[in-house]
Parts: sequence; structure tokens; C-alpha cells
Amino acid sequence: MVLVPHLLALGLYGLATALALAPFAGLRPASRGLTLGTPLTGAAAHVVGVAQLTPVGVAPVLSILALFLVLLQVVSERVFRASAVAVFTGPLATGLVALALLIGLGPGVEPAPGRNAWFVLHVALSVFGLALLALAFVSAALYLLQFRELKTKRFGQMFQLFPPLERLDRLNHIALVAGFPALTLGVLLAVGYAERYAGGWHVDPAQVVWGTFTWAVVGWAVWARVVRHWAGRRAAVASIAGFAAVLLVYLVLKLAEPGTERFL
Amino acid sequence: MSIAVVGVNHRTAPLEVRERFAHAPREVPASLARVLSAGARGGVLLSTCNRTEFYLADPEGTAPQAVWALLNERLGDGRDASAYGYFQHDEEAVRHLYRVSAGLDSMILGESQIQGQVREAWETSREQAGPVLHRLFQSALLVGARVRSETALGTGAASAPSAAVAVAGKIFSSLAGRSALILGAGDMAELAANCLVSEGVRVTLVANRTYERAKAIAEELGARALTLDEAWEQFASADIVLSSTAAPHAVVTWERIAPAIARRGGRPLCILDLAVPRDVEPAVGQLENVFLYDIDDLQAVAAQVAAERRTEIPAAERIVNAEVERFWAWYGGLAVVPVLKEFRGRLEDVRAAELERALKRLGHLSPEDRAQLELFSHALLNKFLHHPTVALKEAAQAGRGYGLLEALKKLFGLESRHDA
Repeated sequence: MVLVPHLLALGLYGLATALALAPFAGLRPASRGLTLGTPLTGAAAHVVGVAQLTPVGVAPVLSILALFLVLLQVVSERVFRASAVAVFTGPLATGLVALALLIGLGPGVEPAPGRNAWFVLHVALSVFGLALLALAFVSAALYLLQFRELKTKRFGQMFQLFPPLERLDRLNHIALVAGFPALTLGVLLAVGYAERYAGGWHVDPAQVVWGTFTWAVVGWAVWARVVRHWAGRRAAVASIAGFAAVLLVYLVLKLAEPGTERFL
Repeated sequence: MSIAVVGVNHRTAPLEVRERFAHAPREVPASLARVLSAGARGGVLLSTCNRTEFYLADPEGTAPQAVWALLNERLGDGRDASAYGYFQHDEEAVRHLYRVSAGLDSMILGESQIQGQVREAWETSREQAGPVLHRLFQSALLVGARVRSETALGTGAASAPSAAVAVAGKIFSSLAGRSALILGAGDMAELAANCLVSEGVRVTLVANRTYERAKAIAEELGARALTLDEAWEQFASADIVLSSTAAPHAVVTWERIAPAIARRGGRPLCILDLAVPRDVEPAVGQLENVFLYDIDDLQAVAAQVAAERRTEIPAAERIVNAEVERFWAWYGGLAVVPVLKEFRGRLEDVRAAELERALKRLGHLSPEDRAQLELFSHALLNKFLHHPTVALKEAAQAGRGYGLLEALKKLFGLESRHDA
């Protein structure tokens, strides 16, 4: 019963992506109800699928990340009227669910810790923090594209369909500021879990390295925005660089020890 | 003829003529009263900067002459007002109003301001409109709303001032509460400033080469006046700069404003240069977080939108045509009822007179036989009337009743004053 909701979510995310991209192909934009309702219905099916997963291994984490991305996409559209976020998050979430299905959503090699509430919360908060970092990346990318349209006076589809610069900057700011406490809590829960429940449970150094690195990157980005008052293009470039660094380090660590049973 | 439109617009008359025909709301009742006294049953006067149009419920067809006479007086120099205008009647008059309300007849295709102007015209003329024009204007507003919701005719910014608002709206989350600095006192700057103010922008500073002129405009806008030399410092705090001086060369230069821009802390600044020749040197646009647009850029945005809107014309015209048919069907049905009533009354009179004459000649008949004869006369009349009545009602419902109605009036010598 894990597969069916995931397939349903995949189809609806694909449809939501097509709806988001349609105006760029010269088609009339879909109604707001449809652009919000389609991913939300997909997310509802996705929640049913995710609830049955053991959050251990690459595939479940990718699935949870996709779910958070779609939920953040809906919030961005509803609260920030930033429907263009779906241009990035839509394909990303669809791809992540497809990849999770390809890898296989069976239980990982660590079924015992996977059902522990601390562990589930650690995974949920950490992945939510990652999703917020991804949203910061998306809003930064949209910012730079819109910035270029405005500076070069192209006034094309991006100019018409992308949100104003200031709104994208604000979305980037909020995503980073919200992502940092989520990641911090995720890391603290991991430490607490290892000390309290794992006992002799082995913590992979790769996980420690990547977790700490990601936390530090997001922390640096928040420091730059809040303390140093970075904004606009500089903040957008920093967000993209930070996200790229986190992704790169993950890939390097993963290539060093391949396998899909463990997230790292 | 029943419904007519007589008037001029931006295509048929130059501004100098349109200005003379324009009516302030307080002038409308008197002008309409004069036209109605020439025989019209109802009238609405739509007067904007681009058009002056009298919509008339005019069964006699006499009112247009009164309109031209009135406009000739306003022209006041011996020229013939009708040479600048047009006259349409019946379905074409209905179509004309629907196209006006939809923005299809506007100088800027699809602009939405006309919808409000049509509503205002209707409300100003409410006492003199009459039932047919009430219905016509009510439906025209619905047609305008349908076209705007079902097509993309009204989307985007199709004029340079509205393009200025659109461009600024892609930089700032909301324009409400933003501060604007105006350099110079050109007409275009004033127009664009009004567009920005209507979006909630606060004009806080007005700078001009001569302080007195700046002060006059600043007082109008509730802003503070400056000289141009005092304005460069203000680039550190303003969100939007609107420039339209009459200077023969660029007055806003990199050297003058770069120090102020450096103090903005990365906040974006939108500079709208509406002057020809340009007020702002192009190098200013290379400053970080400064977005500079000149009149050509804004006109390019407007032209692009206008081109996109033009592709929506067929869809909008389809809506207009369907609604014209619908109105005309209603109107045909409306006109049928009183004519049929009179037609039946006329034949009833004939029946009653002929029956009376026959009964006088047939004095030997019993009361029962007389009653039977009267019943027969009623039945015969009803049989005769049944088919034409049904045919006329059906034709009216299908929007084809008008011709039959006119034929009926002529054939039976009926009164023709049923239209309005």
C-alpha cells in the first residue's frame, strides 16, 4: 500500500508541474484553484504513503523531502503569491518521488531505530530543514532570473510570470530563517537519540560530517542575512552557493560509500 | 429605428473637437433633456476624454438631428459636428455600446477604465434613460465583465504610464506606501505619477529646476518641494524616481547619484525616465540594484501587451455578438407585447361593431341564439389571431420579431409608438 499513494502523488505532481510550466509554453495559466488543488491532492495521497514508510534509507528520505517541497510550494503560492516557485519545486518533487520509486520504497536495514519517535522526529525536522534550504535555493534562482530580466529589459515570460524581486528576497529570507532552527533541532535530536537510545549504535562519520556541514552552511546564510543584512542579489548568490555545496558534499560522501539502504 | 447611438470618438474627431463636446456630469441632464424633447423616449450620455456619445431610445428617428444641433453649438465656429461623428441604430447601436464597454473600441485596447465610465454615464443619466436603455446599459456592463473574465483582453499594461506601474510592481512586493521622488514637471510624469498614486505610492518629494514650479506641484500632491541640486541626496531614500524634466541633456548622472546609491544598503531603486531627450544617463542603470527604464523601454512593454491583447479580439467579438443577439431577442419580445395588445384590441373593436350591427338586423333571434352568435364571433376572432400571435412571439424570441412587427403595424395601421 506504499506504492499506490506514491504513484498517485507522482501523477498529480507531474500534472501540477505541467500546469506550472504551461504559461511558459504560451498556454493560458490554469485557475488558482487548480494550481493549488492539484499538488495538495497529490500531497494528501503522498502523506498516506509516507505514513507507512520506515524513514531509513535514501528512497524514504527522498519521498519525505518531495512531500515537504510540495507543501512549501503550496504555502509559497498561497501566502507569497509566488506561483512561479512551482516551476522549480514541481519538477524537483516529481523527480524525487520518481527516483524514490525507482530505488524502491522497501524498509531499510535499520527497522528497529526507524520506529522510534526521536528518530522519526529527527528525520522529519532535518528533511524539513533541507526542504527549506531547497526553497531558499529556488527563490534565489527565481530572484536572479527576474533580476536579469529587469536589468536587461527583456520583459519576456519570466518578467510577466515571476513574482517581484522583493517578494522573492523575502521568501528566501524566511526559508533560511525557518530552516535553521529546524535543522538545529534535527541535529540535536540525532545527538540525543544516539546517546539515549542507540547505546552501541554506530554513528557513521559521514552522517556527522554532512549533518554538521549542512547546519553550518544554513547557519552562515542566516548570519549573513540577519546580522550582516545581506539582501537581494548577494543573498541569492549565497543561497545558491550554499545549497550547491550541501548537495555536492552529500554526493561526494555518498559516492565514497555507495548503497541505498542508508541515507548516508 | 428604435435604439440609436450618435457621437464622436478618438478615431473620428481630433482632441480639439472632443474637448468641446465633453460634458461634465452636471451638464448631462440639460443636454439629455434637450435631446429627449426632440422625440426620444430615453437617453444616456457617455462623455469621456475619448468619446461623447448619446445613446437614445428613439422610435421616431428625430433625436439624432437634435444631437448634432447641440454639438454644433458646442463647436461654435460654424463647422458641422456630424462631419466628425457617427450614427448607428438598432443592433449596430447595441453592438457599439457592448464593444465600448468591453474596451474593444478604446484607444488602448482592452483598458478597463471605460467600464467604470459606462457605469457612471448610466448612473448620471438614470432619470432620463428609460427602461430599454436601463436594460441595455446593465447588459453592457455584464458584457464588459464577461470579456474581461473570459478573455485576456484586459491583462497586462498597455500604456507607457501603466507599464511604468507594471515594471515597478515587478521590483517591489507592493507599491502601497512606497516613496516617490519626481524630477521635473512634464505631463507624462504627472500622468505616470497619478498612476503610481492610484496604486498607493506616496509622492514625497518634487524637484524642479525652478523651485516655484516644484512647489506648485508639490502642494497638489502633498509633497515637499526641492531644487534639482537638492534632489541627488534623496536618491538614498526614495523607492521610485520619476523623471520628466525639459533639460536638453542628462541631468541624473552617475557622479551625482552614486554616493547616495551606495548608502541604500542594497535596497532596490526604480528610476522611470519619461523625458525626451532622456534625463538619466544610461550608465546609472549599471549601478547595483538600480533599475532604470526610459520611455522606449516602457513603450516596448506596452506594445508587447497590446500585441498580446490583439490576439484576443476574435474571442471578445464572439462574446459581444452572442450578447447582441440575446439583447435583441429580449428587445424584440418587449416590443411585441404592446403591438399585439393593440392589434387584438383593434380587431376586437371590429368584431364588437359588426356583431352589434348583425344583431340589430336579426332582431327575431332569441337571447340564447344571440348569445350563441356572440360566442361564435369570439371564437372566429381567436382562430384568426392564433397563428399570427404565435408566429410573432416565436419570431421575437428568435430575435427576428422586429421586421414582422413593423409589417404588422403598417398593414393594420397600428400606432408605432411602442418601442420605448
